[in-house]
Amino acid sequence: MEVSLTQEKLTRALAAASRIATNKANLPVLNNVLFRVEDSKVIIAATNLELAATTSVGAKIVKPGAVTVPAKIISEFVGNLPSGTVELSTKGSALTIKSGGYTSTLNGIDAEEFPELPVINEETSIHYTLSMADFKQAINQTIFACSNDVTRPVLTGVYWHSHDGWLYLVGTDGYRLAERRLVETTSELEAIVPTSTLHEVLRASTDTIDEVDVLFDESQVRFRVGDMEITSRLIDGKYPNYRQLLPSDTTPVATVETSELVRTTKIAALFARESSGSITLSTENETQKLSLDSVASDVGENSSKIDAVIASDGSVSLNSRYLLEVLSVIDAKSLTISYTGKLAPIVVRPTAENPEYTHIIMPLKS
Amino acid sequence: MRYLPVEISLFTDCQFHNRFLVVENSEIIYTEFNTLLRGLAVDSPSDTSIWKLVLDEVELSVSHANFTTWFKPTKLTQLSGEMATVLVPNIFAKRQFEVKFDSMIRDIFKKHGKTVSSITYIVEPSGTSKRSVSREVHAEPTDLVNERQSTARVMAASVTAPQSSSTPMSTLNPKYTFDSFIVGSSNDLAYTACQAVAETPGTKYNPLFIYGGVGLGKTHLLQAVGNKIKSQNPSSKVMYISSETFVKEFLEHIRFKKTGFADKYRNVDVLIVDDMQFIAGKEKTQEEFFHTFNTLHQANKQIIIGSDKPPRSIPTLTERLRSRLEWGMAIDIQLPDFETRCAILEAKASLSSVELDRKTTEFLAENIKTNIRELEGALNQLLAYCEMRGINPDVSTAEGLLGDVRRQRPGHITARQIIDKTAKHFQLDVKDVCSPKRDKHIVVPRQIAMYLLRSELHMSFPRIAAELGRKDHTTAIHSVEKIEKSIKLDFITREQVASIREMLYA
Repeated sequence: MEVSLTQEKLTRALAAASRIATNKANLPVLNNVLFRVEDSKVIIAATNLELAATTSVGAKIVKPGAVTVPAKIISEFVGNLPSGTVELSTKGSALTIKSGGYTSTLNGIDAEEFPELPVINEETSIHYTLSMADFKQAINQTIFACSNDVTRPVLTGVYWHSHDGWLYLVGTDGYRLAERRLVETTSELEAIVPTSTLHEVLRASTDTIDEVDVLFDESQVRFRVGDMEITSRLIDGKYPNYRQLLPSDTTPVATVETSELVRTTKIAALFARESSGSITLSTENETQKLSLDSVASDVGENSSKIDAVIASDGSVSLNSRYLLEVLSVIDAKSLTISYTGKLAPIVVRPTAENPEYTHIIMPLKS
Repeated sequence: MRYLPVEISLFTDCQFHNRFLVVENSEIIYTEFNTLLRGLAVDSPSDTSIWKLVLDEVELSVSHANFTTWFKPTKLTQLSGEMATVLVPNIFAKRQFEVKFDSMIRDIFKKHGKTVSSITYIVEPSGTSKRSVSREVHAEPTDLVNERQSTARVMAASVTAPQSSSTPMSTLNPKYTFDSFIVGSSNDLAYTACQAVAETPGTKYNPLFIYGGVGLGKTHLLQAVGNKIKSQNPSSKVMYISSETFVKEFLEHIRFKKTGFADKYRNVDVLIVDDMQFIAGKEKTQEEFFHTFNTLHQANKQIIIGSDKPPRSIPTLTERLRSRLEWGMAIDIQLPDFETRCAILEAKASLSSVELDRKTTEFLAENIKTNIRELEGALNQLLAYCEMRGINPDVSTAEGLLGDVRRQRPGHITARQIIDKTAKHFQLDVKDVCSPKRDKHIVVPRQIAMYLLRSELHMSFPRIAAELGRKDHTTAIHSVEKIEKSIKLDFITREQVASIREMLYA
C-alpha cells in the first residue's frame, strides 16, 4: 500500500478509531486500526466486536493494499505532526508514516487477521435521515436517563420504536424515564441501541455536518455521519412496556421558567447532599408560588419560592439530581410539572401545545 | 459392530450415543452412527458431539486468540440433511464466519463424512431476561434471525386476515375467546347463553341481548361468540359492528347516496351489534335497523346485541324496535364479585407469565370493584412498573402505585345516595328503611344499606346508625357483620349487594 493524505483528515479518523480499539480483547488485532485502499479512498476502521467505526478518507493512491497497526500509538503520532501531507507506505506488515522530516515505522499485523467489517443490507433495512440538530437533541434528552446496570441489559440502551406513526426514543433506569418524539415514520421499528454506540456517534458529529443517516436491520444499526460509519449490535431483549406508566392525566400543576427553576434546584440541592438529593417541591394555588425545600440536619435548611402559574396545591419529594439533569436538556424557556399524588410519577414537559419531550421522575417516599 | 442395531433401537433417544462415541472415538463408528441417525431428532446430543469434533480440529489450525474469540462461544443447534445452523455470539462473529470460516468448517464436516452444503449463522440472543426466546431457539432456530420481521409479519397477517377471508367487514379481535373469559356468578348466565348461541346460531335465544355496565366484559362475550362461530364454520359471515358505525354508515348512505348499505347488513349469517344505546334518538337509523333486524330474524340468522342498559331503559327507542329487542333473551352482566375479580387478575397475570401473590391480588381486587377494564389497567400498570424496576410485584408496590385509586373512589357518592338506591332496589320507601319498623322485608335492606355505608364510605358506626335513624351504634356493627357473613355464604345477598353497587357507580 502506498497512499498520501492530509494530516487533518487522518487525525480525525484515527481519533475515533483509537477510542474504539481496545487493549482488553483476547484478539491482538482488535488493538489495531485497519488501513485499506478501496476504490480511490482509504478505509480506516476499528472495532471492539460491539461496534465498528469506519471512515473513508479521500487520498492520493499510488499502490493499493491493506495493513493493521496499533491504534493508540499511530493516533498520537499523527496527532503531533504538523499539518500537511502524510505519506503511508507498507512493507510486509509494517507501516511507514512520513511527513516532512518526521518518519516512523510501526510493526503491524496482517490485514487478513482483522475481523470482517459488518455490512447492512440497505434494501431490507429501515432507514431514517435525521437532521443533526434534532438527532443530537433527542439523544442528549434521552441518553442520560439510561441505566448502566449490566444485570438489566435492555435498560442500558436507548429504545427506538414506532408508535402511532411516530418514531420515539426512550431512555430509562427505572427511576426516571425520558421519551422524545422524533420524526414521523411508516415502518414498524423496535430496537435498543447501546448508549456507548450513541456516545460514539455524538462524538463523530461535528457542527459542519447537518444530517445523520440511520439504518436498522434485525440485529444491527448503522449511523452514517459525514464520511464516518458506525455500525453496532443492538441490545437483544424486550423493552419494558413503559407506556403503561405514563400518567393519563398530565394537566400541569405548575408552569415555571426553566432558568428560575434551575437556580432554585441548584440551591436546594446544596442542602440535600446528605439526604441523597431529596428535595420537596410544593405548589400553592393561592399565592401562585412554587417552593423547593431541603433540609440537612447538620448544615441547616433551605426554602426558596419562585413565581409560577399554579393550578392546584400539592407537594412531592424527589431527587434533585434527577430534576437538574432533565432541566439541563429540556431546551425550553418554560416548562410544566404535573403529578397526581405523593407517590405518583412526576411529569416534566416543555411548555408547548403538543410537547415532543416527556420526562418522568419517580418520587421519593418521604 | 454386529450388535450395533440393538444399540440403536435401545437408545434412539441418544443419551448413550454420546458416551459410546466418546469412548470409542473412532471415525468409522461415528460415520455408521451418523448415517443411521440422519433424519432423527434435530437437537439430539450427537449434534453437540459433531460440533465438538469440528471445534477440536479448528483449534489446531487457528491461533488460540482467534479460537477463543470466534469459535469457543458457538453452538450447533440444527443439523438436518445438508443444512446446519450455528449460533454465534454477535453480529461481528456472524460476518466473520460467513466470510472467513465457512468453507473451512464445511471441509471439516466433510472429513467426518458429513456433507453440509449450507450453514446458517445466527446471532445468539443474550436471553438473560427472556425465557420465551430461548425456548424458541430450540424449537425453530431459523426463525430467530427474523424474529423482529416475523413478528411484524404476524401482526400484518392478523390485520389482513379478516379481509382475505369471506367476511370483509368483520372486525373481530381474535384475542377475545370464551377460553379467556373468566366466569363468575355475576356473568355465568350470560356466558352460558352466549355459548349456546355460538354452538347453534340462529336457533336459540334470537335475538340475544346482553347488557351491563362499562368494562364488565360485554364486548369480550360478543366477540367470543363471533370468533367461536367463525372457527367452527369459517365460511359463515359474521359481522361485528358498533351501533355507532351503523349510524355513521347509514348517514353516509343517505348523504352520498351510496348503494349496497342494505345488502351489506342483510346478507350476513350472524350480526353482532355492540353499544346499542348509541342508536337512541336516531329515528331513521332505528327504522333501517328495524328492517335489517326483521330480514335477518325471518331468515333465522342470529342477532346478538350488546348495550349498557336493558331495552326498556334506553330512552327514545321506538316501540316496535324495543319489542323486537325484548323478543329473544335479555341477560345482564353484573359487577364481578370479589372472587371473580381475583380470578380475573390471576388469569391476566399468568398471561404475562407473572405470578402474583395472594395478598397483591386481594389488594387489587378489593380496591377496584366497579370495572374490569380499570382492574386490568391497574394490573398492567403494576406489572410495567415492576418490570422496569426489575422487582417482583408485591402489596407495598401496589399500594404505592395505586394508593390514590382507593382514596379518590368514594368522592362522588353520598350516604343519602346509598340509602336511596338500596331502597329503590328493594322497592321500598326511604322512610320505611329509616323507620324503626322491624318487618323482615325492611330489616334486611336496612342492614345492606348499613353494610354499604361502611364498605363504600368507610363511615363510623355511630354515624351509620344516625343516618338510618338508630340511636345505638351496636345495631350498625351487628348489621355490617351479618351482611359480611351472609355475602360469603349466600348467593342472593351477594347479587343484591353487587347490583346496588353497580347502580351507585354507574
